[in-house]
Amino acid sequence: MKQMLKILKFEYLNCVKNKAFIIVTVVLMAAVFLVVLIPGIISGMSSDGGADDEEGTKSIIAVNSSVYDDKTIRDEFSAFYPECDIKITDENIKSLKDNVNNGEYLFAVYIDEELSCSYITVNNSMFSESGQNLYDIIKNMYCIKYLGEHGIASDEAKKILNPAITQNTITTGTDQTKNFLPVYFLMCVSFMAVATYGQLVAQSVVTEKNTRAMELLITCAKPSHLIFGKVIGSGLAGLTQLTLIALTGIASVSSGPDAGINEFMSQYFNIPVLTVIYFLVFFIIGYFMVAFLLGALASFASKSEDLNTLISPVVLVLSVVYLVLIFMMQSEDLGGSVLNVLSYLPISGPLAMFVRVSLTNVEVWDICLSLVLQVVEVYLLGMLAAAIYKIGVLMYGNPPKLNEIIRLLNVQRKADKARKIG
Amino acid sequence: MKLEIKNLSKSFSEKEVLRDISLTAESGKALGLLGRNGAGKTTTIRIVMGVFYQNSGDILIDGKPFDRNNIRIGYLPEERGLYPKKKIGEQLIYFGMLRGLSKKQAVRNTVRWLERMGMSEYKDKKLETLSKGNQQKIQLAVTLLCDPQLVILDEPFSGLDPVNAMLLKDVIKEVIDGGAMVLFSSHQMNYIEEFCDDIAILNSGKIVLSGNITEIKRSYPRNMIEIGSLQKNNIAPFIIHNMGDISETVETDEKDPIIRVKLKRAGDKMKLMNALLDEKFDIDSFKVCEPSLNDIFVEYTEGGI
Repeated sequence: MKQMLKILKFEYLNCVKNKAFIIVTVVLMAAVFLVVLIPGIISGMSSDGGADDEEGTKSIIAVNSSVYDDKTIRDEFSAFYPECDIKITDENIKSLKDNVNNGEYLFAVYIDEELSCSYITVNNSMFSESGQNLYDIIKNMYCIKYLGEHGIASDEAKKILNPAITQNTITTGTDQTKNFLPVYFLMCVSFMAVATYGQLVAQSVVTEKNTRAMELLITCAKPSHLIFGKVIGSGLAGLTQLTLIALTGIASVSSGPDAGINEFMSQYFNIPVLTVIYFLVFFIIGYFMVAFLLGALASFASKSEDLNTLISPVVLVLSVVYLVLIFMMQSEDLGGSVLNVLSYLPISGPLAMFVRVSLTNVEVWDICLSLVLQVVEVYLLGMLAAAIYKIGVLMYGNPPKLNEIIRLLNVQRKADKARKIG
Repeated sequence: MKLEIKNLSKSFSEKEVLRDISLTAESGKALGLLGRNGAGKTTTIRIVMGVFYQNSGDILIDGKPFDRNNIRIGYLPEERGLYPKKKIGEQLIYFGMLRGLSKKQAVRNTVRWLERMGMSEYKDKKLETLSKGNQQKIQLAVTLLCDPQLVILDEPFSGLDPVNAMLLKDVIKEVIDGGAMVLFSSHQMNYIEEFCDDIAILNSGKIVLSGNITEIKRSYPRNMIEIGSLQKNNIAPFIIHNMGDISETVETDEKDPIIRVKLKRAGDKMKLMNALLDEKFDIDSFKVCEPSLNDIFVEYTEGGI
């Protein structure tokens, strides 16, 4: 155990002191910072929603209409743009364009017929909601006018058009509408992190084999200590990186300007604590499974070029699992038996169980059973990895085929058994 | 302390690599393991180091099963290798700790061994910045860092220039004098003769000769006499004409002032010497020719593998 801790510490420091690792961490932290804050700031700066300008005066929306009465126009526009002044004007289109252009008006609307208007703005943003807003405003004004002509007062008409409906959703299981985006986001993070940190372990094994440090290491420590130390050390380095990135995200969210976080981004950061705990538990289990397999397979690589060929089956399985789960999440087939089976199997188990517990109603015994099974699977994979590692690290030349690996494992097992009896 | 390897056998698949090997090494002495490439030296060493398991046979320390956790071992593998991109000091400390030293001891020993190897200034440098010879010295420092009781050196002199070889020789002598047990594998016979009291020659996975070097040499017939004299052209005819009853062949070296006489019986050595003295020949040296370790090695390993 002491031996393993020494290896773990060495591997951890090796990772976190690595220049490439530090650069990637800093770049990712900066990227998170920008992704969280910049869209909000940009939309705040270029908002056509009518924010107050620097002097505290309200932005003006100019409306020229000969078909609707002033009160209806004011009421409807104010409902959508409460922070703006609505100016009823009889300026022609040219004059409206000039005033929008010189910044006097935030934007202008020229209504020439009941169901026809011109929207005059400086820039029409990709993310602007004005088009939809205008459609709703004109539609409402048209309905109010039409109902008025048929004897229904405008106030009554408004009540008919915008009835106040109270809707309560009672969820007996899990509210997927709240969890879907965070779970989707965390699953992406988990998939990428498991694959990346797993490959970090594989790369470390190949480096030690390439530099021939392996023969010395294998005589200093047990193969199981070596691979467990390596996997845990690299995993902790990965967790450190993830924590720093997450903290950057949280700090950006909490310290940014009010306009900094738009509604869309906040959905990704509004993650329930229990979901975060599930994510961490299943991420760690998933990482161990993949890292043990990749580390063991990497021990057969005599050079870096062999590595991709050797580890590609595991990475491929992981990718397929990820895609299947994404497909299932979108197809609403979350209670199906396929997902249940996937949540007990190695490699797919952690991701599948995370999706199940976060998006569906899973019994406690089911979670416990899955956890116990996965922990046992991790232990068995660790032992298998140590056995493969011991054979692989001293093999040079072309990587062996699967049947050769199985044969060598059998020979090793018999030798171990004979030694114990001896 | 005594290390005994008893009846060790090892097969890889169908191939028998070691057959019934038995060896003994003792503290304060070096055992030379000789053999051609593929004879089984590295496999024997790897079994001792626990990299492979033997199919049969025992490894004992003072009569008890060999427990690698209870003995400090220094191992210089044939395939040299450390971390090229790590600082030298850091990796020495790491390997020292893996060999069972506390961090404090590992730091202390790192300083001591780097100083002994003349490499103190490189402590904070990356290994890859050193020349091959200097990397070899760092590798030896890693081997000896834990103050080992058992030192296993697999081809320690390969790749070293004469100056570094001299340093390594001195260090190995110090280690032997310090009471460590050394297992030494090499193709360079001069080094084996210099360090080792005992040798074992492996051929095709079997021990074909083992024992004390001096005794092995003495076990050869001592009837070849080498006489050093500038009067070689007078002495050789004298022996041929007057000592024919005791000599079998007489040869004169073409370049050096040396005459080699093969006696019919080793016991006639004094008779020959007295006859030459009676004739008042000017003789520089008179000695029994022993076979070199190289001759013995070739004799026992020719035709093997």
